[in-house]
Amino acid sequence: MSSKIIIITTLALLLIGFSVLFVVEARNHNYDYKKNWVAVYFENPDDSSLDFAIENHQGEKTTYDYKIFVNDEKTAENEIEVGKGAKQKISPALETNELNGAKKIMIIVSNKDTEYKIYKNIR
Amino acid sequence: MILDLIKFLLTIPFVLILPGYFFSLAIFGRSNDKISFFERAVLVVPFSLILVDLAVLTLNRMHVPIRGMVLVGTILIISLVGLIVYQYRFKKNTKGSEKSEKISDSEELFNFSFWQVIFIIASLVLAVFIRVAYLSDTILPSSTDLGHHMYWVQTIVNNGSLPTYGIPDFIIGEHIIFAVFNLISGVGVMTAFPALILLFINILGIFTLTMLVARLFKNKNATALSFFVAGVLYAVSAPQGKYISGGVVGNIIGDMLIPVVLYFLYRSLEEKSSLFLGLFVFLAAGLFYTHHLSGFILLYSIAAIILVYLALNFMRVFRVIGDWLKIFFKPFPFAVLIFGLCILFFVYTPSFLDKSAIGQATGEPSKITRTGLSLAQIELNVGSARLMLGVIGIALLILSFKPKKYQYSFALGWALVLFIMTYKPGWLYVNIPSDRIGNYLFLPLTVLSAYALAKYFELIKKSSTKFFASAFLYTVLFFVITNGLADSAEAFKARNQFQEATETFHSAQYLAQATDPAKDVILKDHVNIYGDAWYKLFFMKDYKYPLSRGNLSRYDDPTKPREMCTRDMISSPQSTGALKCYSETGVNYVAVNAQIEGKSFEAYPDFSKVYGSNYISVFKKD
Repeated sequence: MSSKIIIITTLALLLIGFSVLFVVEARNHNYDYKKNWVAVYFENPDDSSLDFAIENHQGEKTTYDYKIFVNDEKTAENEIEVGKGAKQKISPALETNELNGAKKIMIIVSNKDTEYKIYKNIR
Repeated sequence: MILDLIKFLLTIPFVLILPGYFFSLAIFGRSNDKISFFERAVLVVPFSLILVDLAVLTLNRMHVPIRGMVLVGTILIISLVGLIVYQYRFKKNTKGSEKSEKISDSEELFNFSFWQVIFIIASLVLAVFIRVAYLSDTILPSSTDLGHHMYWVQTIVNNGSLPTYGIPDFIIGEHIIFAVFNLISGVGVMTAFPALILLFINILGIFTLTMLVARLFKNKNATALSFFVAGVLYAVSAPQGKYISGGVVGNIIGDMLIPVVLYFLYRSLEEKSSLFLGLFVFLAAGLFYTHHLSGFILLYSIAAIILVYLALNFMRVFRVIGDWLKIFFKPFPFAVLIFGLCILFFVYTPSFLDKSAIGQATGEPSKITRTGLSLAQIELNVGSARLMLGVIGIALLILSFKPKKYQYSFALGWALVLFIMTYKPGWLYVNIPSDRIGNYLFLPLTVLSAYALAKYFELIKKSSTKFFASAFLYTVLFFVITNGLADSAEAFKARNQFQEATETFHSAQYLAQATDPAKDVILKDHVNIYGDAWYKLFFMKDYKYPLSRGNLSRYDDPTKPREMCTRDMISSPQSTGALKCYSETGVNYVAVNAQIEGKSFEAYPDFSKVYGSNYISVFKKD
């Protein structure tokens, strides 16, 4: 009888332990659960397109400023609101003359005192 | 999430209990004086594990696609065969032997008193609680070893067949069980389930050690204490909690199987039972399909146990060997051995069974990390309290020494050989990292520690000067508990790195979508990116893809030249050597830690930064 009690208790303990850990893992696998980060990236890293995306994993709706620099010269600036856990695609519309002679196009996304910088060298 | 959890929980009994249960029915019947309920409940898991491995190996050999429904059918067939054999072998005897009211010796061995049960349950609660608390900060799939293993598991799942590794580092038994769980339950490998299976096997390892202690010493106090020593002391240190979260799959399974193999060897010799010898061969073969190092340790352990026994009984060596041969040359063990050899030669030959791999593990130690640990390192490795109790256990065993009894050669021979393999491996021609061998020392030391504590309690009862004996005991217990539980504090102060891991996964997902596997080549940094080993699961292109800058010490190998490209392309990407490497390897994307290498890369004009998060930066070589 004592063996059965030990085995059943162990199974019950494991069942509880497994359930707790499974739920902890599943929640934390989420990009937003108890996290605070942002990702900024070009939609097409391989070509010269400037389409980029901002992903907000800061736990609340946030407004981001973004500036576009051509050869270190600011050519555009705007701000955009991104919902909690959402991704916002942005397609900057730059004039052709602004892109003439461009060697490097940089996008700086900022929120409060944090900056996220991506850039492409134009060959 | 809840549905996945339910599917996972239902898959456990189906895969890890059902086939083993029917196998045990076929072997022992429903009730058997030779085996208690406790032992049967423990043994069904290792039986299941090996049967499922064997079934998958056979399916693969027959070119049957390894898919969920095929596996469900196979497990049901195995169980049905077990049931048929049981009906055939034991149906006639059901009335006579199975309704006996008398408690057998086996049952009596595990028939604990009220206070023993309370102590065991308290130990188990603590054992599970400490591990779960520790794992709750590391449960997100991120460890390097587990990432490597899960790549192979996913390969099995994707291809429906077993992989050809091409390197002796991996053993098929490390991956089959995870693939089976994935295919039957549908729960993905990038969830908690791989770590939970390891936790299950690790907890079962406490029971297999306990079972061995019970049979060796036939002392219920020692058995009860072994739950505490194996489960609670050093529950976080390697090879316990840290090995679970680290995904050291082979060791975890090996630590569970080795005591079972020795349990059957002990019972076959002690009880002159060919049935147990056959099961010993069966489980030992299963171990060799699961983990080469554990198999290697087992071989040395068995050799030492046999040699110690023969040395202690040298006056009757020939009689002893004759007795052993009589047990072996019976149909069952012989048939199991032949069956195992057939599997080895005709079904699946493990990748480590080639001359070069064997040559690498044996011979004079070739590296400084293989020349043995100092005594201080051994103490650190196994824990001061366990080492101290183990030494006391050896002393107490020697004091009551009876050479004809196998228990002495088992406990002493096992501890002795593992100690020499760890301390002076060159003496035994062992050429394996000494700290990895040292991680097995806890097994015999746990057995000896439980014996030491139990014997000491008995000595106190008989002692005439109870005051001093009790004072000494409580001092020892205080040291054991404080020292043995010190590492458990880690379980409650660890800082999780869930955010870093998810950012790593996000960058991998981005690269998997944004790059062309036919023309783009990715290099990522293992040194400063947490959870990077799981990158490869987003691509499933090759085990060595994406390329990776490994730990820097690995590039400085005096035994053989190493490739330097993966290091130079991140450490000094503008150097001539690195530029040549970029050209030769075709690497055009580099993922690095945003705060460390990411800052340096921003200064290099040949790279565009195409992805940036708080933790990861991805650069494209122009």
